[in-house]
Amino acid sequence: MAVWLTVPATWVGRAVVDLVRAARNAKRRRRARIDSRATRGITLLREWLSPRQREQFDYYNFFEVVGCDSGKSYRIQHGISTNVIELDRDGRPRTGWCLVPEGNLVAGDVMLAQKIALETDERGALAVARQFLVPPPLRAELAPTL
Amino acid sequence: MATQIVMDHSGDSRHHFDTSDLKALAEAERRFKVLTGHGFTAAVRQANGGVSLLRSFDPGVEETLFFPRLVGG
Repeated sequence: MAVWLTVPATWVGRAVVDLVRAARNAKRRRRARIDSRATRGITLLREWLSPRQREQFDYYNFFEVVGCDSGKSYRIQHGISTNVIELDRDGRPRTGWCLVPEGNLVAGDVMLAQKIALETDERGALAVARQFLVPPPLRAELAPTL
Repeated sequence: MATQIVMDHSGDSRHHFDTSDLKALAEAERRFKVLTGHGFTAAVRQANGGVSLLRSFDPGVEETLFFPRLVGG
């Protein structure tokens, strides 16, 4: 009787261990895929940034673009949404703009699409964007200059 | 060798083609039309570091980037 109970219990135990192991491996593979996608996105972005923007991005994790229609400056921060900040003449945050490319894109791709849109079709980009309020900066948070 | 880069969920997809190969060129032009027809924007890098939009297929462009339509977040 004891043997009849022990054998299935061993099988179940092994099956559970296998399942946990498979789930852990799948999670690891998924993490690696996401990391690889994110890295590719940042590589593409860096290739398309101007030398000054690349320097800014590497140092501060954001870069600035100039709108082709108004000449206003925008700061594009690392992120996939609510990451475009319009700056005033003194480089202080004035208002936020949320515009993102359709689809599930990585941060590098999102930031690159935002940069190109503002530099080549600012009016069209802002026409579809949603505004959001940005808090006034603390003195220490004012835009640094390179 | 020219390249068309298409932003997608995998980061990006790259399509390389020989500009002296008429068949490859026709395929690249077809891809351009399909993507822009689906709302993608085509952009090219300028020599001075700037970026400009491409409204129609240009076989002389070395690298074209396509990104999906922008929407309010």
